Amino acid sequence: MTWLLLFAILLITAETALVTRFPALLRNFRYQSLCLALLTLLAAYREGSIELYIIAGLLFSLKVLLIPHLFDVLIKRIGSSDHLGLFLNAQVSLLIVIVLGLISWYFASSVVAAPAYLQQLTLSAACFVMLTGIFLMVSRIKALAQVIGLLLTENGIFLAATVIPGGMPFFVEIALFFDILVSVMILGLFIYRINAIFTHIDVSKLSGLRG
Amino acid sequence: MVKRLGAINSAFYFIVWLAALYLLATVGAGNLKIFWGNLFYIDALSALLIFTTATVTFAAALFSVSYIATDLAQTKISAKKALLYYLLFNLFAAAMFLVPLINNLGFLWMAIELTTLISSFLVGFYNTRHSVEAAWKYLIICSVGITLALFGAILFTFALATATGIKSLNWTDLLAAANTLNPDVIKVAFLFILVGYGTKAGLAPMHTWLPDAHSQAVSPVSAMLSGVLLKCSLYAILRYGIVVAKCCGFPFYTNLMLIFGLLSLAIACIFIITQRDLKRLLAYSSVEHLGLIAIGIGLNSPLALFGAMLHFFNHAVSKALMFFGAGRVAQAYGTHDLSKISGVTRTLPVTGFAMLAGIFALVGFPPCSIFISEFYLVSAAFVGGHFLVGILLLGLLAVIGGALLYHFGKVLFGKPPEETVSPSEPLGGWLSYGFLLIFITGLGIFIPAGLRQSLDAVVTILRGQ
Repeated sequence: MTWLLLFAILLITAETALVTRFPALLRNFRYQSLCLALLTLLAAYREGSIELYIIAGLLFSLKVLLIPHLFDVLIKRIGSSDHLGLFLNAQVSLLIVIVLGLISWYFASSVVAAPAYLQQLTLSAACFVMLTGIFLMVSRIKALAQVIGLLLTENGIFLAATVIPGGMPFFVEIALFFDILVSVMILGLFIYRINAIFTHIDVSKLSGLRG
Repeated sequence: MVKRLGAINSAFYFIVWLAALYLLATVGAGNLKIFWGNLFYIDALSALLIFTTATVTFAAALFSVSYIATDLAQTKISAKKALLYYLLFNLFAAAMFLVPLINNLGFLWMAIELTTLISSFLVGFYNTRHSVEAAWKYLIICSVGITLALFGAILFTFALATATGIKSLNWTDLLAAANTLNPDVIKVAFLFILVGYGTKAGLAPMHTWLPDAHSQAVSPVSAMLSGVLLKCSLYAILRYGIVVAKCCGFPFYTNLMLIFGLLSLAIACIFIITQRDLKRLLAYSSVEHLGLIAIGIGLNSPLALFGAMLHFFNHAVSKALMFFGAGRVAQAYGTHDLSKISGVTRTLPVTGFAMLAGIFALVGFPPCSIFISEFYLVSAAFVGGHFLVGILLLGLLAVIGGALLYHFGKVLFGKPPEETVSPSEPLGGWLSYGFLLIFITGLGIFIPAGLRQSLDAVVTILRGQ
């Protein structure tokens, strides 16, 4: 089951490189977060740990329900078009993402020793999600896509944290959730402001400051 | 009302400054403080950062009184927004004071992220096209950076958990187990930490957000960004660096710091020569000085580290003074454009004099304190046999110094543009310049025994002894 969920995360992440419209990107983020929540739930069941149950619940309520909902509201409020605006077209993006996947695999197998295959795969999936998130941030024009890219990167980090034997300390993880929520709200607020002042959210046109 | 609020705010930060001075003295004398079950940890390195933060924040609070009142009088902001400014100012200061106190590296990460989130509102405070653009770039670039740093922190925890079975993010636990960690994992993890926190510390080539944010922020906040915020992030790098050095030896860590330091110096040099904006000029000078501190860390002799840590403080006070001056000049002339500003010593005699002293300090003329710290750094390079580093350091410092003097010569002297009126110089400005000038000139002449003792204690910590 864990393998299956990891595989799903890999597929969903690779698919985000092909996405050109915002609702689809948001949906991918939602599915990816759902897989992550299920993965945590599975670990909670296996270890019988209440802390992990709470984390799984938080993942589900924040990243699957609340944050995507906030974005839906934001999109309706600013009334921007759905297109993400691609600096690189979908095919080239996919090729680059595949290369990123190979790099992640190489990296993970050099960090984690050979017999722990599940750990290796998890870490490489985590890196892959992170790198893809960062890649989306630099290769998409709309400010909204950058925020989703950041959220994908953070999903990758959560996945990486599951590799640690025993997981991250509980309170640190709770505080991280709070932090992510606050930063998403602030980023959303700034998108709103950018839209109000510039009448667009096209970051390639934010070039008033140079030198 | 706003002025009275500002005065109360300043009085509060004066008390904080006195407390920080006390802390520096007691902790510097070798008294570690650990409280609340390992959650907080204060040693000489934290105390130095707390004292730096307190000094710059007190000066900024003092300077804010008249600065915000002027903004209000020029109807740039409303009275409600002035209150918002003080709220954000205090939150921002609180987040920065939190950074050096924390032992847990996860919470440390969060405190640094918190400083970004709060200060983004102070960067975008005026809500103009430029300031919102700067705030957006600041938020996005620093968020990505700090996310990479979090990944680095997770790899550190992973290494600790696989080596010892301890599930902990405490810096003290990490340091205690440093010898048993897997050096390969630690090396990779440190690269993430360095790039991640280095973004926020303004090390080139990850510095791109810095000139935008520093030039668009409210001027007292620019001083805090440059003087303290960058150093909070550098502090995080130093904490990890101590563990890395203990785990895989010094050369790996120090060589990286040397490379990033020299690169910062070189890139800052190019942009300082060609600069056309007063506040951006000062921002690039921050990149330069952070590079100098990194070089000092990279040289890694007691002399170099002492110089770097002295520079840590000296740069904060000198740059704060310059940003205050630049803020006042921008208010009087209505622009940051270097080509439109001249004759500051005539229109604003007090600010003009303070900036003249400040620019001598930044360039490193004796008897200013930066001369002493730079002298330590350069001598450490030659004494340690790093001749190439020493020569590059001297050459780049000379070029940057020349460029800064050229730019500021035109700003400070000459005939002011005809339509400029000479505004009065309020008491808060006088006091904040005076307070900072005490450190700038005082520390150039002699270093008090207490401070020397604290700095020696910091050097010992940095060398992992």
